[in-house]
Amino acid sequence: MAAMLRRVSGSALLIVFLICWSFPALWGAVTSFKTERDVLDYPPMSPFHPTLYNYRHILAGPTSIVPNLESSAILTVSTTLITLALAIPAAYALGRLRVPAKRPLGFYVLATQMLPPIGLVIPYFLIFSGAGLLNSYSGLIVVYVSFSLPFAIWLLVSYFEEIPREMEEAALIDRATRLKAMWHVVLPQARGGISVTVVFVFLNAWNEFLFAVVLGGRTVRPVTVAMFDFISLEQTQWGRVSAAALIAMAPVMLLGLLAQKHIVKGLTLGAVKGSGRQ
Amino acid sequence: MPRTALSRSCAADGAAAALAPAAAPVPAPAIAPPRDEQRFALVLLLPSLFVLVLTTTVPIAYLLWSSVQRINPAMSFMNGFAGADNYIQMGDDPRFWNSLRLTLVYTGSTVVLQVVIGLALALAIMELRRGQWLARLVAILPIVLAPVVVGLYFRTLILTPTFGMFDYLMVTLGLGSHNWLGDPQLALASVIAIHTWQWTPFSFLVLLAALAALPQDIYEAARMDRASALRRFWHITLPLLRSVIILLVILRLTVALSAFAAIFAATGGGPGTATEILNLYAYRTSFNELQVGYGAALAVTLLAITLTTTAILFRLRRRI
Repeated sequence: MAAMLRRVSGSALLIVFLICWSFPALWGAVTSFKTERDVLDYPPMSPFHPTLYNYRHILAGPTSIVPNLESSAILTVSTTLITLALAIPAAYALGRLRVPAKRPLGFYVLATQMLPPIGLVIPYFLIFSGAGLLNSYSGLIVVYVSFSLPFAIWLLVSYFEEIPREMEEAALIDRATRLKAMWHVVLPQARGGISVTVVFVFLNAWNEFLFAVVLGGRTVRPVTVAMFDFISLEQTQWGRVSAAALIAMAPVMLLGLLAQKHIVKGLTLGAVKGSGRQ
Repeated sequence: MPRTALSRSCAADGAAAALAPAAAPVPAPAIAPPRDEQRFALVLLLPSLFVLVLTTTVPIAYLLWSSVQRINPAMSFMNGFAGADNYIQMGDDPRFWNSLRLTLVYTGSTVVLQVVIGLALALAIMELRRGQWLARLVAILPIVLAPVVVGLYFRTLILTPTFGMFDYLMVTLGLGSHNWLGDPQLALASVIAIHTWQWTPFSFLVLLAALAALPQDIYEAARMDRASALRRFWHITLPLLRSVIILLVILRLTVALSAFAAIFAATGGGPGTATEILNLYAYRTSFNELQVGYGAALAVTLLAITLTTTAILFRLRRRI
């Protein structure tokens, strides 16, 4: 009896859970197909004629967010490539080799990961305005690498540590150089961890806002900043802001689904494994 | 030869260490590592270290320097060395004390809410035979969304009086329509709720994974001894989860302390200064009021708070 009661209340809770965390997104999706007049219908659940009007406006015409999507893509892809190119060797060294002062180095990387962004955006603003780097891709990419790199190193270290050592040692006994052992033996086995890291670096860079709004400008203007175009004190363009949010968040939602099994490990920097009950 | 795993020795032993708290640390290798291994490691590490120093440590040093300067891009003829002036100014700035109080309330309440609700949900949904996967799937959605988008969403579609879904729900339940983000009495609670909405699924997923990894035989034994569910939770589950919970608190604390975009999008720190946490105050001071030197001093304060609390928590974690 008690067990059944527990299961029923558990299911009820599950339903509340699902509504609470999926409804806002579903509601936004519905709103994105409404005209501005239909949005204002009260009560909010009234029937309406779906239209692609909002999507036409945000993908073409003067309020198009396509240039902003391009900005986001340039920033995110460059950041991901540079970060991974730097982080993979560093994580390999920290995770698999005997490095002098390994612990202090690890703590240093971890500490740089914990810095509050406001503490970085102020000096970057001063440095960039002096150097003429405001509103430039190169400037913003440097900043994005600064917060992606410590994260990527930490996450990759946890994957590199998991790979068994025997094969690499066998390769070394066969007189392969260390570089070859790393390249041909270890890296192929770390492919999974590397792709998870790519997902998270991409996600954080795509979603970034503070640095972009302060250090970006008219040309370097990712989609997170462009969201505000549809909102002003006088008027909110409900349908358009919903459609824009949906399009802007589509890439990260897709990545989240793809990386579903690895998300816990990624979120805890590799500290907690697993995806629930196997 | 086994070597100390770095990710475990420094940050984060999560579930694995929670289950094996008695495992002794692996002794350091007695033989010195071969010279070529060290050289190879340094070659691999140096580019990253160079970039990290250049892109994080140098800017932080510049921030410290800026915090003892008068910097106003609009009146650059006034710029110059200010000594401790900016820090002294903070002492009798009521807006600073307000932002400090809001930061503590915001951080404390969001972290506690996320962990407590996340744990309750994880415990309840663990019991379910079916539908767990659905909860895990839905939980990913808020986590991957950009905080700025979440803030805008709540400001428009969820919390707007009369049109927002949540407001409509409150009216339907007979609790009346409120200006959730515009009323100084409610705005702080609203931004706390937004942060909690977005990040509770994170705690939920992590705790669910940790719960699933707990050894079942202890529970069997406890059931044999007729220990009640509450006692089992208090004496078995909670102690086993302690390490994961502290890890979660560390992770959530650093994120809450640097929260910016969602509040910026939802209220911009207002109405007035009702939701102006230290982050927002430093931003407004530097980039709206152009008092960059004073803004830098505020940011240094936040930096000091973040580093102190995480250092304390790490110490706490190691002692367990």
